[in-house]
Amino acid sequence: MMDTITNFSPLSSLSPECSRRRFLGVSGVLVLGASLPVQRALGQTAAPTTFAPNLWLAIDGDGTVRATVHRSEMGQGIRTALTQVIADELDADWSRVEVVQAQGDVKYGDQNTDGSRSITQNYDRLRAAGATARLMLRQAAAKHWGVAVDTVRAGNHEVVHAASGRRLGYGELASQAAMLPVPENASLKKETEHRYIGKPVTHVDAGDIARGKGTFGADFSLPNMATAVVVRCPWLGGGVKSIANKPTDEPGLVAIETLDAAPSAGPVFAPLGGVGVVAEDTWTAMRVAQGLNIEWTGSPNQTFDSNELRHALRDAVAKPGTPVPGSEKGDVDAVFAAGGTELSATYETPFLSHAPMEPPVAVADVTEERCVVHAPLQDPQSARPMIAAQAGLTPDKVEVTPTLLGGAFGRKSKPDFALEAVELSKRVKRPVRVQWLREDDIRHDYLHASSAQHHRAVIDDEGKPTAWLQRSAFPSITTVFAAQAVQPAPWELEMGFSNLPYTVANQRMESAGIRPGARVGWLRSVCNIFHAFSANVFADEMASAVGRDPIEHRLSLIPASGKLKQPGQPAPPGHELDFARLRHVIERVRKLSDWDSPRPEGVGLGFAVHHSFRSYVATVLEASMANGRPRVSNAYVVLDCGTYVNPDTCVAQMEGAVVFGLSLSLYGDIALKEGAVVQSNFHDYPMLRIAEAPATKVELVPAQGRLPAGVGEPGVPPVAPALSNALFAATGTRHRTLPMRA
Amino acid sequence: MGHKLNVNGDAVDIDVSGDTPLLWVLRDHLGLTGTKYGCGGGYCGACTVHVDGAATRSCQLPVSTLPGKAIRTIETLEDRHPALVKTWIDNNVAQCGYCQSGQLMSASALLDGNPKPTDADIDAAMTGNICRCGTYVRIRAAIRQAAGQTAAGGAG
Repeated sequence: MMDTITNFSPLSSLSPECSRRRFLGVSGVLVLGASLPVQRALGQTAAPTTFAPNLWLAIDGDGTVRATVHRSEMGQGIRTALTQVIADELDADWSRVEVVQAQGDVKYGDQNTDGSRSITQNYDRLRAAGATARLMLRQAAAKHWGVAVDTVRAGNHEVVHAASGRRLGYGELASQAAMLPVPENASLKKETEHRYIGKPVTHVDAGDIARGKGTFGADFSLPNMATAVVVRCPWLGGGVKSIANKPTDEPGLVAIETLDAAPSAGPVFAPLGGVGVVAEDTWTAMRVAQGLNIEWTGSPNQTFDSNELRHALRDAVAKPGTPVPGSEKGDVDAVFAAGGTELSATYETPFLSHAPMEPPVAVADVTEERCVVHAPLQDPQSARPMIAAQAGLTPDKVEVTPTLLGGAFGRKSKPDFALEAVELSKRVKRPVRVQWLREDDIRHDYLHASSAQHHRAVIDDEGKPTAWLQRSAFPSITTVFAAQAVQPAPWELEMGFSNLPYTVANQRMESAGIRPGARVGWLRSVCNIFHAFSANVFADEMASAVGRDPIEHRLSLIPASGKLKQPGQPAPPGHELDFARLRHVIERVRKLSDWDSPRPEGVGLGFAVHHSFRSYVATVLEASMANGRPRVSNAYVVLDCGTYVNPDTCVAQMEGAVVFGLSLSLYGDIALKEGAVVQSNFHDYPMLRIAEAPATKVELVPAQGRLPAGVGEPGVPPVAPALSNALFAATGTRHRTLPMRA
Repeated sequence: MGHKLNVNGDAVDIDVSGDTPLLWVLRDHLGLTGTKYGCGGGYCGACTVHVDGAATRSCQLPVSTLPGKAIRTIETLEDRHPALVKTWIDNNVAQCGYCQSGQLMSASALLDGNPKPTDADIDAAMTGNICRCGTYVRIRAAIRQAAGQTAAGGAG
């Protein structure tokens, strides 16, 4: 990689490649840095051999860069993307960068891998971290050569003094850079100078995964570890009354432990309790657990029925709810009273389960002095004090390390399963892995809320609403956190309900809550799922009522420019909904999908657009009915997520969002009877399979220079309404209820 | 209780109860954790391995039925299917990656029996493998590419 090397200094013959070949594997990284003449020249005797100017990166004497990633990898490519940001500003050689997974620790700031905000929150600070290190490496080289800093430049893992042709690798400079004070305000690269940011980079874990070597939660093990399967009460808040048939002489059985029940209301992240079967191996634990005959104590949730909840939600949106403060414009009632072309519709969506391919699993080792947890956790930092409390230790005695997450979608930001492992390890005094079975996962999830939505509007001759009443009712996620909570929280309504981007002179928004007899929680894109569904289908109904093209109609509802002023808390500066950007993704998806070309008889195109997690996504699906079932042949998605780090990851997230969205559109339906979830595995809670996956085209709007926005979630909300609208175009039948079965 | 198995070409002797599914023998007793537990019911395909060359759900196979059969897992797939592993990496197929061992084992069994599969062949052979992240379009692309390389270069 390097051509002429002068012999000005002994160091100069050590190009990174050369030094690596010469020293690596012979005497390790310490040979360089500590013993080379530079240190002697600088009068240093015990120089540090690793340069670690901040939390985010360290450079060893052999030139290896270790980038610390403090967010959890669950398929969204964050271990790669954050490393791209650091390595870019550092001007590191990608092949010499290793990724270190951070433990949960407040020193990193927020570690909650949730809400599609890892890049949004960390883009600037990680660029600064890399740029600071780059500047210090230049300073170290300049000092060594006795030249001005601005005469040397950094590039591809080395610093070069162009005038003399001298160059030093990052590894060779590490120990001297480590002696320098850390500067503030190191300048960042220009957009045009980026070498990794904005470029497709293969995921750092892709090779391990394709070879079966990735370490997911269940793949981590400790010496003398036992495996536990927990039998939980079918209803929330029930505990163990008795175990009729406790085996005692089963080979491989370690212990049968009774665990306290969670509170029946406001359980937060408390383990559900039940009976922990601890065994030497998984199959023994599973077999013994399945054979137990357990009698449970009662709970107010024992009578909970999801069908009754759906009736109650439907009733709630049939009458006035709680107005969203600041949402009322004009006089909706006067327009309704005056008459005109009126439309109204009610939409219903069921409970959903996350069902990540990796069911919850956690390994814990608790002793009197310390507790170590390895688990697929979305937020190892917030889990740490909870784990400490469960272990009876202070948080400084607790180490929480995320493994790879085999899917999460919000499920694994709740550490209840890790707390089970901690409790059982404490009881049996040896490391314990708690393995949830798929049945446990489906039956004991934090469910995505069931909802009812009601829309009523008066429209003009062009299908534009002169008055629009929106109502949303669902069990709020806050019910998990507070035993008395009922009303939806403002942040739930700001997910596609109180911030619709359409111009309406007379408008009112009302919400209603209800307490469920089960744990609800956030699932990939959260309340945007049902809000985007009803609003996009209702808009399509307005267009069809006057025979207008749905995309033309939609564009006519959105101002040409400016920013949305939403009721309540304003969006953060730079993240306000920008009408021009919204229009742009719509225009692009019209072109991408060849929207104006007629499709064959029986094949329809459906359009939906949604702004969520600060990003803009427009989706068109091409669908028809085949053998009595909806069939989606093509999907077209346009994403504007502002500055993007890894465009290939962004495209992959949109492809995946289409599949995730189609699973919930066609199959997702969790029911509860007598407090218990009816479904249990993929035979009765099906997922989309490959033959049903449409060919998918994704376009990413070039928006480098704008604030980065979310990618993991915003592709999901437009999918269900686009399918409903496509089926209407294909067949004339409106689907206002999820899932769309036929 | 001893069961003599052939796993990835190695003879192993496993002392477990005969009803223990192969999945747990691989994971708990042989340390071959590339094969994943996804459902325990044969619905999802995360535990797919090859038994005498056929893609098979290891969660459904009692170890007592396996003596005399050749079992292969993801850990040695690259030896026989380097092109497939390469196209999986090059296409960034995996998102979370949990299902991908099973996807690769199903894909390789397909190519062993059908070196030039059509999209319909791919869909039929891969339908037992669920990917919750939704990587299906890239799975199709990677299999097609690997099939092309098989014809051109003889690899895989």
